[in-house]
Amino acid sequence: MSTDSRATWGVLREAFAVAPALRKGLGLTLFLTAMGTALRIVVPFAVQQILDDQLFGGGPIDTSAVLLKGGVAGVAMVLSALAARAATIRLIRTSATGLSDLRVMTFAHLQGLSALHTESERRGALVARITSDPETIARFMEWGGPGLIVGSGQIVLAVAAMLWFDWRLTLVVLVGVGIYAVALMWFQNILRRAHDKVRVLVGKSLTVVGESISGLPVIRAFGVEAQTSERVRQALDAQFEAEYRTGRLAAFLFSSAEVFAGAINGLVVVVGVVLGVTGSLSAGTLVAFLFLINLFVEPIQMLVEVVDQAQSAGSGLRRILDVLDTPSDVPEVDANEAVPLPRDMLDVSFDSVRFRYPDGETDVLTDVSVLIGKGENIAIVGETGSGKTTFAKLVTRLMDVSDGSVRLGGVPVQAVRFDDLRSHVAYVPQEGFLFDTTVEANVRYGDLSATTEEIEAAFEELGLTGWVNSLSDGLATRVGERGSRLSAGERQLVALTRAWIAQPSLLVLDEATSAVDPVLDVQLRQAMERITRSRTSLTIAHRLSTAEAADRVLVFAHGVLVEDGDHTTLLEREGVYASMHRDWTHGTTR
Amino acid sequence: MADPSDNPTLRAVLGAGFRLIGRYISWHPVAFGLAVLGAAMFASAIIGAALFVGSIADNVLRPIIEEGEPAGNRAVIAGLVLLGIASWKASGIVVRRTAAGYLQYRTQADVRQKLVDKQLTLTLAWYGQRSVGDLLAVSDADAQGATFVLAPLPYGTAAAALLVGTIVMVFFVDVTLGAIVLVSLLVVLGVNFWGSWQMFQAFERIQARRGDVSDTAHESFDGALTVKALGREDYETARLAKTSEALRDELITVGILRGNLRAIVDTLPPLTSVIVLVVGALRFDAGAVSPGDLVAIAYLLSQLMFPIRLVGFVLWEIAASVAAWRRVRGVLDSTEVQQHGDLAGSTDSSGANISTDAVTFSYQPGEQILSDIDLAIAPGTTIAVVGPTGSGKSTLVMLLARLWDPVSGAITLDARDLRDFAPSELPTEVSFVGQEAFLFDDSVSGNIGLGLISDGPAIQEAADLAAATEFIDLLPNGFETKVGERGASLSGGQRQRIALARALARRPRLLILDDATSAVDPSVESRIQAALSSANMPATVILVAYRPSSIRMADSIVYVEDGRIVAHATHDELMQSQPGYAHLLLAYERDAEGRAGSMSGTQA
Repeated sequence: MSTDSRATWGVLREAFAVAPALRKGLGLTLFLTAMGTALRIVVPFAVQQILDDQLFGGGPIDTSAVLLKGGVAGVAMVLSALAARAATIRLIRTSATGLSDLRVMTFAHLQGLSALHTESERRGALVARITSDPETIARFMEWGGPGLIVGSGQIVLAVAAMLWFDWRLTLVVLVGVGIYAVALMWFQNILRRAHDKVRVLVGKSLTVVGESISGLPVIRAFGVEAQTSERVRQALDAQFEAEYRTGRLAAFLFSSAEVFAGAINGLVVVVGVVLGVTGSLSAGTLVAFLFLINLFVEPIQMLVEVVDQAQSAGSGLRRILDVLDTPSDVPEVDANEAVPLPRDMLDVSFDSVRFRYPDGETDVLTDVSVLIGKGENIAIVGETGSGKTTFAKLVTRLMDVSDGSVRLGGVPVQAVRFDDLRSHVAYVPQEGFLFDTTVEANVRYGDLSATTEEIEAAFEELGLTGWVNSLSDGLATRVGERGSRLSAGERQLVALTRAWIAQPSLLVLDEATSAVDPVLDVQLRQAMERITRSRTSLTIAHRLSTAEAADRVLVFAHGVLVEDGDHTTLLEREGVYASMHRDWTHGTTR
Repeated sequence: MADPSDNPTLRAVLGAGFRLIGRYISWHPVAFGLAVLGAAMFASAIIGAALFVGSIADNVLRPIIEEGEPAGNRAVIAGLVLLGIASWKASGIVVRRTAAGYLQYRTQADVRQKLVDKQLTLTLAWYGQRSVGDLLAVSDADAQGATFVLAPLPYGTAAAALLVGTIVMVFFVDVTLGAIVLVSLLVVLGVNFWGSWQMFQAFERIQARRGDVSDTAHESFDGALTVKALGREDYETARLAKTSEALRDELITVGILRGNLRAIVDTLPPLTSVIVLVVGALRFDAGAVSPGDLVAIAYLLSQLMFPIRLVGFVLWEIAASVAAWRRVRGVLDSTEVQQHGDLAGSTDSSGANISTDAVTFSYQPGEQILSDIDLAIAPGTTIAVVGPTGSGKSTLVMLLARLWDPVSGAITLDARDLRDFAPSELPTEVSFVGQEAFLFDDSVSGNIGLGLISDGPAIQEAADLAAATEFIDLLPNGFETKVGERGASLSGGQRQRIALARALARRPRLLILDDATSAVDPSVESRIQAALSSANMPATVILVAYRPSSIRMADSIVYVEDGRIVAHATHDELMQSQPGYAHLLLAYERDAEGRAGSMSGTQA
């Protein structure tokens, strides 16, 4: 455990270095917290003094002495309250500000990692770096952290006070509470394991319940409502059994801790009376001791819980720092080494390009060399997994080559600043991702300065005005979460217009109209052909007709560029392209 | 999730909260009774301990230590009694926590089960109007939230008893001290109550801000490729920073509230102890109280810190539970239950005749998705439904499987109205397969049999027909392989083939395929078609299809445009008579060629 806590402190130091706002004014906050705690210890002292000097003393009550002692204790309490209040507010301010900074910083850093778009299965985990991890840390900073300080402060002061009163009774309490603390830790471990088991069953029943809802149409279609209900019942019962069993265990463990605390109290009274009889301990001191034990035992219970909280906060922080430590795999070029892209149409050259994922075992692209001239319209075809999309992503520098070089207008892509590159080169992926806002705002995402008229003009150019007008609110139609209120094909129309509005000199379409109605697709392609005469375009083709109409066709197979030529030439060559073509004809017209 | 528009009053929330608690208690009265009993034992132990500590001061400590009386075994007895009280308290904790745990966990499972069972009876029209994400949140977070109030409830009851007991005890000792304690506790409770309510409302705002942060991060990460391709990383970071800073500001506002609240709530009880002692010393002078009384009161007050805080918790949990329960009830109280008759399914295995009479349909009032649908399909024939995107094809076939009910008109299966079938009876004759193949987190055979068919050969045969056996045999455990959540370990085409096998295993009299093989490789699809037509399947088949090869396999074609049946004839006739059909089919044909090219590697 000591290595764990040491690691936690190391992580904390690192975090302070990354987000200085987390550390700002922490010294004063800690001091105020300590003050707030220290002043509380006055109460048992006042109790002891008033009891011994006045009440148990047997003589007449000295009113002014009682008022003085009471007054001092009262003032101490008020000061303690003010200090605690200031500390709480300062701490929350620091933690909220620091964690917000850390969150934004992590988000910005994640934007530079290509894992975000290449490994969609990790996305949920990455979102957690922005949401739940900072929450875990905040919980510790706002509750556990101060609890840790107040609690340990309270323990130290209580022990000091006890020692001041009587060292022998203190020894009794310390031994008792020491055993108690060890027992609590042990219980906590048992409980943690039980909770881990529960978590698995909770996950399982969550899945089953979730399926009964998301699969409702299937359940209805097959009439298996009764079976589903039974399946849910079994999962919920298993979860209940595990939770209840753990609950009983916790009840037993915590109550035995309670008996133990009672035993300490009893022991103190017995030993105290024995000592009192020998005349070395006053009655008031013994009563004050009973108060002090309370002050001592309570934080111990809390500290045991805080240890857990600290560990999860530590690992949350560790995960965030790991993200921040991961270097961007497609790094931005230094401003003074950057080369601007030429202003006119761009040509593209690949020279002996090889690509392989960092943890991959085989090349995705091998030895690709090709030159695409200014203003050429290129179609790229190949089977799934042939390397077409990788090729497109390398052109647009969404990924970097493992070997070889990619040049745009003669400039190596790695030497171009991203804002320069993105304003000249547009990439439209298949997914047609839309943000939860209006059609107009989604298109403007491609060019933040575009006016409504320009957006309308872009739709007009692509022959989509009729489609826009058919929407319930035209350009102002809200598209819903991830564009869910539009069909997949309609989402692609918006995504295409969004890239179009930026007027790129190089346009890369990755099956960007695959879900569009075939009738509309033909129309769209004709519109683009009309306009892309002035641009270089690369189209990963999902429809044969695209390849037929292109200036040139690049054919990929197993990561190799196997054929390169126009449709007619490639057909005559009787190679991969021609055989693919034959397959289609056979597959569809039986 | 929280609806920010409604701002419930404290009064309304408390009223609803107590009704909710009453409802839960009525589900498990014994557990609740036991929990309260345990809590009462616990509270009595605390008061008992305080009284006994006071009595120790008067009857053991002072006589023996200060006045030199012989100790005898009084000290040992005192120690044992303290231990006894602790054991009593511990027993109270065991009883309370065990019963309260049972109450909370059981109630939570009950609420979830009720939610699932209710949703299984509701119409898909109801279902279609809600987002699945919201419904999942209701059965997960809200079902849990709605029962939160049960966790602190038994202890809360005990805490209330403890507070009342304290005040009564102090008044019993001395009226002046009683008045001081009463006023102090009332102030601290009042402040805590008010403050907790403020905090709760602020907490709802915080949750909304947290939701904003999470939504923005999710959306931005889901669209990462788009963000990057358009070079909008900085724009996205600024967008997240805005939500993150709004959250930060809200947290700080609440932090100030919390700092103020804690200062008062944590300080007043010990301050009261001191005041009681000072005033008590003066009252002692007047002969009104004993030192032991004062010790007992001061000791008890020092124990009240947690119970007082708990009052705030209970209020908080009530408010949170009421908000969650309102969403749970939104589902439980829904009246859009699927209506059924009492007709049993036929055991006949021949193909069914299905016909519609003047059917109209709309998802929302005012729109018209389908109108004047009159259709009669002969037993054993294969029909393709063809039409442009958005023409209502899918809606039409969903009506035929009674996934939705027509707004007017009737649909009959062998002259029996679909609405007259008893629950789960219609699916014994009609199988529907949609485009999105939904798989359960179960084995392959479990997904095909769905708990109804466990006969191995029947499942195997269905998988053969759906051309699924070839890849199932390659899975680690064959038919017993777990497919993972939503069939995540399989490709889209594989999922569709399992979904198809699921339908075929029923040996339906009417099989409806709504673009059910869209992700299946064309060559595999043609094998499925060959298997279906050569197999001894007497079923009537209705399919919504885009591929010309599928369309040509049909005996006749229903051509749909703008929610109306334009023609019902053979392919050759339609090519002659319907220019719209011909145009569409040619476009599809070109499309099919293209798809074949880009997808031929998918299943290889």
